[in-house]
Order: sequence, then C-alpha cells, then structure tokens
Amino acid sequence: MTLTTTHLVALLPLILVCATAIAVMLGIAWRRHHAATVLVTAIGLNLALLSLLVVWQVTPIETPLLVVDGLTIFATALILVSALACTTLGHAYLEHYTGPAEEFYLLLLCSAAGGMVLAASQHLATLFFGLELLSMPLYGMLAYAFHERRSLEAGIKYLILSAAATAFLLFGMALLYSQTGRLDLAGLASGFAEDNAWALAGAGMMLVALGFKLSIVPFHLWAPDVYEGGPGPAATFLASVSKIAAFIILLRLVVVSPAFQGEWLQETLVVLALATMLVGNLLALTQSNLKRLLAYSSIAHFGYLMVALVVSDGLAKETAGVYLITYVVTVLAAFGVITVLSSPYGGADAAALHHYRGLFWRRPYLTAVLTITMLSLAGIPFTAGFIGKFYIVALGVEAERWWLVGGIIVGSAIGLYYYLRVMVTLFLVEAGMRRRDAPHDWGVRAGGVVVMGLALLVLLLGVYPAPMIEWVRVLAATSIG
Amino acid sequence: MEVAFYLSGLVAVLATLGVITNTNPVHALLYLVVSLIAVALVFFSLGAPFAAALEVIVYAGAIMVLFVFVVMMLNLGEAVVAQERAWLKPRTWLGPAVLAAVLLLTLIAALWRGDIGLVISGETLTAKAVGTTLFGPWLLIVELAAMLLLAALVTASHVGRLAAPDKPPMHQETGARKEVR
Repeated sequence: MTLTTTHLVALLPLILVCATAIAVMLGIAWRRHHAATVLVTAIGLNLALLSLLVVWQVTPIETPLLVVDGLTIFATALILVSALACTTLGHAYLEHYTGPAEEFYLLLLCSAAGGMVLAASQHLATLFFGLELLSMPLYGMLAYAFHERRSLEAGIKYLILSAAATAFLLFGMALLYSQTGRLDLAGLASGFAEDNAWALAGAGMMLVALGFKLSIVPFHLWAPDVYEGGPGPAATFLASVSKIAAFIILLRLVVVSPAFQGEWLQETLVVLALATMLVGNLLALTQSNLKRLLAYSSIAHFGYLMVALVVSDGLAKETAGVYLITYVVTVLAAFGVITVLSSPYGGADAAALHHYRGLFWRRPYLTAVLTITMLSLAGIPFTAGFIGKFYIVALGVEAERWWLVGGIIVGSAIGLYYYLRVMVTLFLVEAGMRRRDAPHDWGVRAGGVVVMGLALLVLLLGVYPAPMIEWVRVLAATSIG
Repeated sequence: MEVAFYLSGLVAVLATLGVITNTNPVHALLYLVVSLIAVALVFFSLGAPFAAALEVIVYAGAIMVLFVFVVMMLNLGEAVVAQERAWLKPRTWLGPAVLAAVLLLTLIAALWRGDIGLVISGETLTAKAVGTTLFGPWLLIVELAAMLLLAALVTASHVGRLAAPDKPPMHQETGARKEVR
C-alpha cells in the first residue's frame, strides 16, 4: 500500500511542522535573526493547528504506518499548543542569550514532529522513530545553555538514561516480533496466544521504556535533576509534549494490544500507579526548588492518570483526555511563570523557593497566575485540576478499584501541603535578597500574555468545562480500537 | 546454518561483554568491531545478506574506524609510544582475535558447504526487497530518519561549539540590552 492524496491530507500537520523545521534551518543558514525565527516557527505551528480542521474531515483514516483518528487529533492539538507556548516563552527567555539562540526552535519543531508521530503510530517502527525523534532534539534543548554546568548535566543525564530506556524498548519489540512475526499493532493483537511468557516479557520491557519517558516511579529518578537543570522552555516542553505523546501511545498499546491486557500487566500497572502517586507526592514534600517540586508533582499526576490505563474501558479514554488537557494547561502556566521570572536568560533559572518569597508585593498578577496553577495542581474546585481529578476518581470508583481511589485521595491530601507551602511563600513579606525578577513590561510581552491566557483558561475550564468535555467525547468516539 | 547462527550469536554476546567490561577504550572498541561483525553474520545466516553487508560496511567499517581514530587521536601525548607498546601485549588482542577466528571458521565452513542460499527459514531478503519496502510503504520512516539525523546533527553542532567569546554576558541586574543581532 502506497501513499495516496487522502493520506497526505491526513499527514498535513506533520508535513507542515517538518517543513517549518526545514524553513527555520535554511533561515539560520542564510541569516540569523531571532525574532524572525520565532515568527516562522509560530506561523508554522499555527498553520499545522489550523490544518487539523482539514484533517478532521477525513478521520478516521489509516495510512500504512500511522493512524489518524480522534485520539491522534486530540494529541496533535495538545502537542501543537504546548509547542506554541514553549516557542513564545523561548522568545522572551533567549532574547539576550549570549550564544546562538535560533537552533532552539529548530530542535523544538523536530521534537514536536516526533511527538506527533509517536501519538499517531500504529506500527512498532513509527513508535520507535517517533520516540527517538521526540527525545533526540530534547537532549540538545536541555543542554542548550551548555556552558551552564546544570544544563549540560541535565542534557547528558537525559541522553544516557534515555538510551538505556530505548534499549529496553527495542528488546521488548524484538521479543514481541519473535512471537508474532508482525510489527503493526493490529497484527500484534491478532497474533497472540494466551499466556505467552515471551510476549509478556516483551510488553513489560516496552512498558519500562515508556514508563521512563512518563517518569513512572521506579524509573523516575532522572526527572527532578533534568527539570531543574534544563532551561525553562526546554523543561516546559519536557513536562508537556513529551509526556502527552508517551502517554497517548501507552494508552493505544493498552487498549489495542492483548499483550498489555493480561492479568499480570494489569496488576503491575496498579502497583506502579499506586507507587507513583505516593512516592511522587512524598518526595515533593521536602523540595525547596520550585522546578524540582513541579517535577515530583508531575510524577504524581501521571500516577493518577495511570488509573485510566488500568481501567482502560468505558470512560477511560474520555477521562484520560480531560485529565491530560487540565494537566497540560496547568503545567504550561506553572513552568511559564518560572520561565518569565527567569527571562531574559542570565545564568541558572530562578527556581529556588526563596526567589519567590514576597513575589506578591512585586508582581501581583504573576503571583495570581502561580497561585491559580498551584490550586489547579492540588485539584481545588473552580480550577481545571478539579475537573480532571473528579473524572479520575469517578473512573476509579466506577471500576471499583478501591486501592487506586485510596491512593488518589492520600496523594492529593499530601499534595495539598506542598502546593500550599509554595502559595504561602509567595505572600510572605518580601525578603531583602532580590536576585532575579521578570522584566518590568512582562505583562505586555508575548510570554507574559501566554502565561496570563493559560491561567484564565485554567479558571475557565474549572468553571465551565462542558465544551472541553464535549470535544473530548466526540474525539474519543471516533478513535480506532 | 543453524550452527553458524548460534555460534555467531554467542560470539556477539561474548564480544559485547568484552566491550562493557574493558576499562581501556581502544580494547573495548576492538571487541565492539568483533561484536558488529558477529551481528552481521547473524543477519547473513537469517537470510538478510543486504542487511549483513550494510552492517559490515557502515558499522564495522566506517563508524568503528572513525571511533578508533578519534579515540586514538585523543590519546596523543607523552606516553603514546609506551601505551602503543603496552597495547601490543597478547593479553590485549588475544580475546578479540580468538572471537574473530571463530567467526572466520564459521564463515569458511558455511562457504565450504557451498550452499550460500541456505538460510534458517523464510526466503532471502535482497537489496531490491529492502528498497521497495523503504521507498514504498515505509517512505515515512525514511523521512523521519532524515529529521532524526538533522536533529542529532544540530544538537551536536550546538553543544560542540565553543561559547561565542565576542559577546559579553548580559548585565544581571539591569538586563541591559545588547545590539540586535
């Protein structure tokens, strides 16, 4: 089967993002100009986002290696929006960067393309290439300020551990292939005998690799260091795009492939989810660095999300969709505030909690944004986070997974403590030390506008979630498998 | 052919063990060469001569030679000659040499029996078959690999460059603007 015009239409967002990457590369080769590069990147991402409307006309459709269904469109939209936010934040952050700043957007576009491929893949080959294309530019993005020791450390740490995870992924794929002789997910699904130990081992190894990308608990050790060391926009990208794409493909695997539905793996997923929720929240308690705290918080949130993987029928897709939207909007806003405060680039990011002491008295609106995101991460009503958490708890209760529901409740209770600690810090009397601050006109710059918009979106989704839920429901209904 | 398959698989495993247990980078690289050639032989015995040839030419040939050269160039210094002499001890090259000899014997035995088309199972994968797959249904993968290489290249070139010395770091308190680049 070769590609037809309809297939090309279905792949339009991917083609547009790749074309933008090429355009940015040629632009850099011709003449370096930061603002123009950002503009080209933003236009390309917006065009890709608009092209989703066209793609929607032809869904669901299967190309030889990729599947374009509701789930793909959902993930692609989230990835593109996150990439846009990172681009805008990157513009403010890298404006006065001493080295060349333009490559960052090239890497960002490549990585976004990888995320889109991963979310749409229905074949182990595209799964592998998508995951690599997602991770490879991220090494460069994390180590972008490479003369900064922490940034370089983050890049190398992610590179080496990620390579180990990839080895697990390939070994798992080889085992699955040896049992079925097929590489496409549908073929894998049909080729299985019951209780095949090799297939189980293969599925487990793939779970290890994807769990690493999602920083699920036994594989979470890299997350805080990498988040702390990476430059603000890169950490934002890692916390949003990389996690969306990896989660979507894991959801696809669990829903489609019988190797992932055996009793053993289900029980493993339950244990991992419980451990992720509890360990993530407990380790966040003692953090004095906001980026590390957000890293642990993001670990805990994916523990909650894994409930949707464990249940994996009924409302699972809708729940995962709603939770992902609320998580991504919130986490983009939270990392956005850190990035805006650390902009323009001048050494390590302002991420220690004492940098935020008394922020309210200097930057009331920025403080309001951070407060809203913390409330949303804690799952307080009238913020987006509450809707997501409500869905997860409802799903757990409906499937009568009492251990998981208990884990969510205990985790949320622990989480409330450290989210509130951050908020209290913001409103304390201003300390004498004042090292880093946002530029005075941050509110009218692109990065500031994005952060404010995201905070408003968090509130809006919390108060009036109906359109979002309706959208996710329609997309979940048109997904294959 | 099954003997060839298992023997070269064993050699690959042993050589890879040699790679990760060796403390000297050059010795480790020698083992890696053997390991890659063994994998090529595995491909060959499975009926994929094209993949086997590529493995030898690209990995064991170009990439490994590059590795060995770079590592050796990095070692330039006072002790190079003494180092070279130390490397020529049999203890160093005996391991890779024995493993390579096993591979050679396997290859000769396979050739001796004459039936080169004999594979474990399935049909032989020719270069033509690989080509039609790559530029037919797998076209997307080729394009993605191109993007992947682009990203890797840009990452390497960015991280590998020296910090621009002509641009002074930004003033931390005032955030003073520099001229637009």
